[in-house]
Amino acid sequence: MSFLDFLQGVQDFLNALGSFVLLPIFIFIFAIALGTKLGRAFRSAVVIGVAFVGINLVIGLMWNSLTDVSQAMVNNLGIQRDIVDVGWPSAAAIAFGSSVGLWVIPIALAVNIVMLVLRLTKTLNVDVWNFWHFAFIGSLIVSATGKLELGLVAAAIMAALMLFFADWTAPAVQDFYNLPGISIPHGTSSAYVPLAIPLNWVIDQIPGLRDLDADPEAIQKTFGPTFGDPMILGLIIGLILGILGFFPDIAESGFTQFLADVLKLGVNLAAVMVLLPRMVQILMEGLIPISESAREFMQKRASGREVYIGLDSAILIGHPSVISASLILVPISILLSVILPGNRVILFADLAVIPFVVAIFAPITRGNVVRIVIIGTVAMAVGFFFANSLAPLMTESAVAANFDIPEGAAMIVSIADGFLPTPWVFTTLVASLQWIGLIILIALLAVVLFFYLRNPEGWERAAGAPGGSAAGGEAPAPAGGTD
Amino acid sequence: MSKEKVVLVACGTAIATSTVVAKAIEEACKEAGIPVRTRQCKAAEVPTLAKEADLIVTTTPVAQDLGVPVIQGLAFLTGIGKDQVLQQIIEELKKD
Repeated sequence: MSFLDFLQGVQDFLNALGSFVLLPIFIFIFAIALGTKLGRAFRSAVVIGVAFVGINLVIGLMWNSLTDVSQAMVNNLGIQRDIVDVGWPSAAAIAFGSSVGLWVIPIALAVNIVMLVLRLTKTLNVDVWNFWHFAFIGSLIVSATGKLELGLVAAAIMAALMLFFADWTAPAVQDFYNLPGISIPHGTSSAYVPLAIPLNWVIDQIPGLRDLDADPEAIQKTFGPTFGDPMILGLIIGLILGILGFFPDIAESGFTQFLADVLKLGVNLAAVMVLLPRMVQILMEGLIPISESAREFMQKRASGREVYIGLDSAILIGHPSVISASLILVPISILLSVILPGNRVILFADLAVIPFVVAIFAPITRGNVVRIVIIGTVAMAVGFFFANSLAPLMTESAVAANFDIPEGAAMIVSIADGFLPTPWVFTTLVASLQWIGLIILIALLAVVLFFYLRNPEGWERAAGAPGGSAAGGEAPAPAGGTD
Repeated sequence: MSKEKVVLVACGTAIATSTVVAKAIEEACKEAGIPVRTRQCKAAEVPTLAKEADLIVTTTPVAQDLGVPVIQGLAFLTGIGKDQVLQQIIEELKKD
């Protein structure tokens, strides 16, 4: 047996293991390298493997249930809704389970250290969990091009881009949410900032509309019990989809069969809404030791510098304006999914993450619920375009990450991050231009960073930071090219 | 053996940051010999679930005056001042 045969054998073995085994092994190695104790690192690696098995089971249940009903809708009603929103828990698992996901933790840490040393960022991103957004874009690019190296570089660029967004929005976030020293390098929350700033400015120019606001408490009381409870929401969506899909068959199947099918779908989808987050909690638990070690490792190297600590936008979601605007955006988004021409996406699991999409709109609009809803509606409407376009790549990435896919399955997508411009721009550029696409992305980031660093206060005021004249006024045009 | 205490841990989704906080509290209480059960929830659920809790630890803004002490848990995420917050939590749980 030659050496090449041996290498090929190793490669085949690694392929046979699949992500559910490989990711735990990689996490174990990185955790040890960052100084985690042996026993703790080992246990967390096993927990991550367990979480992947659990997520796979729940995704299977969701995928089967929704594929059946979406086929029924196509056959019986001619409604083409064959792309299923499987939610960010699935997206995160696919991203971490991808070939890029294996390497994303050291890559993102390295990018952060380099940018801190070069003084290109003030943010120390300790939110290791949300490195999945970087891996997500990387894994889509690997699916589009078949080249791992392109995906890895794209993930690195995305990590840098999120540090820029974190710095840019930090003074506004710190002031509005009263979180001194914190910034938010979160893929889902940053993406629509360049849309929100000009839209808020436009609203400012419209008499009448600019004075409207709504009472968050009343909204929460009205919408909270249904749209604020994912389990109930899952049940309702299941019942409605079931009636739409299976009712035309009722003559053939009989009423009792119809009723059973509808109720089963309702309970299954309610179960997915409860179980999927639980599975992700397990994944999260597994990542805690490496996340803590990474934080200590980074903080030791950044000591003596004034840095922002980059955290998950989950810490912003409790704000009443964000909660209530998101509650209103749930029915609006479902309506959009029905009426938008050419749309094939059924919204489902990610209806619960709309707060993440709008969280940074709150400082920009000074917490005005009406404005958050307006900007959120535009963002979601645009998002459907990106989602329909990204679904084939995301489905392919799920297959590549070893998730079980039922026969003749629907395609998948998720609001986080499939409804965002960032992955679409990255994949479109890199799929057609390969390395040149990546160079264009780096150049765009460099240009934006250059203008931001020349006038940070102006940019930060535009994003809602206090001080100076009213937000929007003399602010530089938010560079549309960033994402 | 004192009665098991219930700590309600709140964040935006009841998934991500609250898991970090809940695990840290469980580990610290185990070391301190305090029997404790954590329950994760979303910020919006806090007012309803507060009745069943002895202490609320949160990483996101929640309503005040719930009749239960509320402790800010951001330190668990930033790592800055984590030990003091843990100490505060343990002292709160040792009462009565």
